[in-house]
Amino acid sequence: MKPVLFIAVGILALGALVIHKAGYLDSGALPVPPTAPNATVEDQAQGGSSQPTTVAQQAPAPAAQDTPVPAAPAASSGPATAPQADAAAPKVDETALRYFAAKGDTRRLEAEIARLKALYPEWTPPDNPLAFRQGGDPQLDQMWKLYSEDKLAEVRKAIADRQAAQSGWQPPADLLERLAVAEAREQLVNASDLKQYDAVIRIGSANASLLTCGDVDVLWRVAEAFANTDRKGRARDAYLYVLNTCKKPEERVATIQKALPLLPRQDLDQLLATERKTADGKGEFEAVRGDIARQSLANADADPKLVISPEDIATVKALADKDGLASDDMLLGWYYVRRENPKDAETWFRKARDKENTAAASQGLALALIQQSRSADAEAILYEWRDANDDVRRVYLAAVANLLAVTPPVPLAPEVLQRMVQAIYAAKDPAAAQQLGWYADGLSQSQTAAQWFRLALDWKPDDEPSAYGLALSLWKTGDKAGAREIQAAWIGRSERIPTVGERSVETAAVGRRARNAARARAQDEDQRVAVEQPTRPASDGRASPQARGCLTSIDPSTLSPEQALTRAWCLMGVNRPVEAAAAFEVALRGTGKTQADAAYGQSLAYLRAGLTDMAAVAASKAPMDADRSVGVRTLLLENQATTAFNQGRYVEALMALDERSRIAPERTGLMVLRGYAYLKLRRYGDAEQVFRAAAGTGNHDALKGLNDVKTARETKIQ
Amino acid sequence: MSYLAENRGDFDRIWAFTRTEMLLRDDGLAAWKWEPGATPHVTDANNATDGDLLIAYALALAGHAWERPDLTTAAAGIAAALAAGGVEKVGDLVLLKPGNSGFGAADRADGPVINPSYWVFEALPAMAELMPDGPWSELSDSGKTVLAASMKIGPSGLPPDWVSLRAKPRPADGFPQEFGYNAFRIPLYLIRAGSRDRALLEPFVTHMRDAEGRVLVVDIALGQARQALADVGYRIIPALVSCVLDGTPLPDEMQSFAPTDYYPSTLQLLALSFARRQHPECL
Repeated sequence: MKPVLFIAVGILALGALVIHKAGYLDSGALPVPPTAPNATVEDQAQGGSSQPTTVAQQAPAPAAQDTPVPAAPAASSGPATAPQADAAAPKVDETALRYFAAKGDTRRLEAEIARLKALYPEWTPPDNPLAFRQGGDPQLDQMWKLYSEDKLAEVRKAIADRQAAQSGWQPPADLLERLAVAEAREQLVNASDLKQYDAVIRIGSANASLLTCGDVDVLWRVAEAFANTDRKGRARDAYLYVLNTCKKPEERVATIQKALPLLPRQDLDQLLATERKTADGKGEFEAVRGDIARQSLANADADPKLVISPEDIATVKALADKDGLASDDMLLGWYYVRRENPKDAETWFRKARDKENTAAASQGLALALIQQSRSADAEAILYEWRDANDDVRRVYLAAVANLLAVTPPVPLAPEVLQRMVQAIYAAKDPAAAQQLGWYADGLSQSQTAAQWFRLALDWKPDDEPSAYGLALSLWKTGDKAGAREIQAAWIGRSERIPTVGERSVETAAVGRRARNAARARAQDEDQRVAVEQPTRPASDGRASPQARGCLTSIDPSTLSPEQALTRAWCLMGVNRPVEAAAAFEVALRGTGKTQADAAYGQSLAYLRAGLTDMAAVAASKAPMDADRSVGVRTLLLENQATTAFNQGRYVEALMALDERSRIAPERTGLMVLRGYAYLKLRRYGDAEQVFRAAAGTGNHDALKGLNDVKTARETKIQ
Repeated sequence: MSYLAENRGDFDRIWAFTRTEMLLRDDGLAAWKWEPGATPHVTDANNATDGDLLIAYALALAGHAWERPDLTTAAAGIAAALAAGGVEKVGDLVLLKPGNSGFGAADRADGPVINPSYWVFEALPAMAELMPDGPWSELSDSGKTVLAASMKIGPSGLPPDWVSLRAKPRPADGFPQEFGYNAFRIPLYLIRAGSRDRALLEPFVTHMRDAEGRVLVVDIALGQARQALADVGYRIIPALVSCVLDGTPLPDEMQSFAPTDYYPSTLQLLALSFARRQHPECL
């Protein structure tokens, strides 16, 4: 009898909701929890389609209060086992009830009992529904069977077919009613899946009997529809309805979880206030409260101005200590880093990173360290992750730029300087290149400084500080003509650049850096070489040519073409492509195979350094054999496609991919790139086709692409 | 067609499916694209107004003939939704938007874009009965006006499937620039709606078929055939128009029906049903 009891409560709730809706479908007064289900309400769900609904209208008037309720069903077809006590007593059609009982379909049996109780509040379900046989109508049995299999359209057909064949036949009202409700449910769920929220509310309003604890999913969908159509208050009321009336613990917790992303905090707090204690004395929403505090912190991460309650922070801290999840450490780390509290941020990011060294934890920790002017530590921590994604790369380059800008310049180990140079070059980052220029300038390496300033200016032509640095460095190296050229170009755009050279270099020189130049000069000589601009290393007489190994920096121009080629390949082997390119340049002076190898190698080196244009030039410097030529061309086109895509030139990306596919088969990764290029161009059909083909290989990016096409299409429609 | 065949079982089955699986949009119109293998099944929630018109028309006919107020009410709901969101007034014209989003003057550079074959002319008087204050007769008149203008675009005298009305009518961007599968049905819809307008109908009789009676997909700019279709379901259309205008009976082979593809088979059944009811002399 337990389910029946539970459902009986649900019925009262149904009445409650119908009244309730007078509250949340009307103009906003908070609904008062009703006690009697028979109140009349105006259901004004959507403009235009208002339908007066009364509970009484849905249910035949129940027997008078003091009339004994007939204990037995009175379905016309069923065998009467008890006398009809009162002419006004309702006729309860129990066909469906008995059908479900016979089939052992308890879920539908319970739902049917709930429905009948809603219609006939004083009806009691038979103790043993199986005790009664069905009426002996195989065609009707078949209809119920189709119904119980959710073949609703087939039931409609069966009814219409029978009515055509057997004039005057009427299906049981019960079947029609159940069918209509089931169809409405299907329609509501389908509309909800398509985010047609007005339709969801319209269907829910017209079918109040759908909105019961027996089908919480429908209630959630209606609530979601309210929340997504700017009716948060009504969404809250719908969730509150579930919490106030529905008993299943897992559904209650799930209700809070459903509401979590949709409702503002004060509404969520109202929902949480309905919490009940579980048998072991704990609050049933304890776990969800943790999620809510986490969500609160996540919101605060996204919006640095958001003020959140100290309780939320304390809750997440307690969770982090208790459960030891790195994700909680990270939430706290980000919270503090966005609130300019780098010390606490560092503590939490370190905890996260100790559990698992990830790009994100390292990125957060590096940010916290940069905020504390500990850029050297930040650089060291983030170096291994610098290529993880664009965000991480930006933070890494920020650490580099900050480290180089420290005054007085900090002594840097040669390998650190070397790897920073490589990273700046690979990322073509003008800010860091500029700092490298000042750093070289501070070490009185004006020529190197000029080369870095020039690169920074190449990467960001309107960068006035780099132009200033370049003009200054050129003056210092005695290249007055070069300096004047820069000055002429900046007349009217900069006040200080045209004045370079008017004062003595000593006073003009870069302010704070010049003051430290002497000190910097005293530092380890090794640094000198490492800062050299990579493609054309300045000569350094101290270094002697080495035939074997390439760990020491030397000027390749002192080598023979053959030696330079050996050294270049060695540099490629240790992943120093920029230096390798310079060595290949020397090797290009050789003849025959040396020259051909050098051209091939240099184009590979530039490709690895991300310098596609230079790679293309290199490839043309000497004839290559067919295989190598195709190989380089393939890589070039691939690079070109990726670059074009990243810069938003999708048509070009496709052209490069097309050209590449003529000389080499398209890899799955490139098919995905192609798919996204189509997607960006809104060629959804093409995108879908390519993603589908790539997804056939089990490629996850392609599967994601398929989903993105779907989302884009939906967005297009709305 | 289940209405025309008086098959109430199929009608109710199709209607139940349509209601629960397609009539899902906020505005009360039907999503046009449903795929059995996809989740959710509706893969494009935009509507297609020819589909909406046909659904409302079938419901209106069945509701009246079978005394089913539930069907009539549903038909009226769709008619109201079409009047509210499916039509666009451009100057003096009332246009049928092919879908509620993506085709209007504000939606695309060559908008408004229309598809003359979406005008199910015979349905419009039925819509007027459901919703007397709707723009149905203007819609019908405008449909014939833009059809006539669309037939002047190319040398063939046949309209393109998709027409831009941004300025002077021309084939819309992004679609095949041809008289094709969409436009084949235009003369069928015209005669089913009772039109005997030779100026509109004769170009179809003359130009949409070749010497063997096959129906042609025609390049609009060049006036040349791209494809010739031999299915009876296509060939019956110019033949029926010819019969209605000039009394040439339908050849025997077109009078027997054997299902092929859904589209030509549908066209053939609509043509035969019309001939049987309105023009027995054609049979």
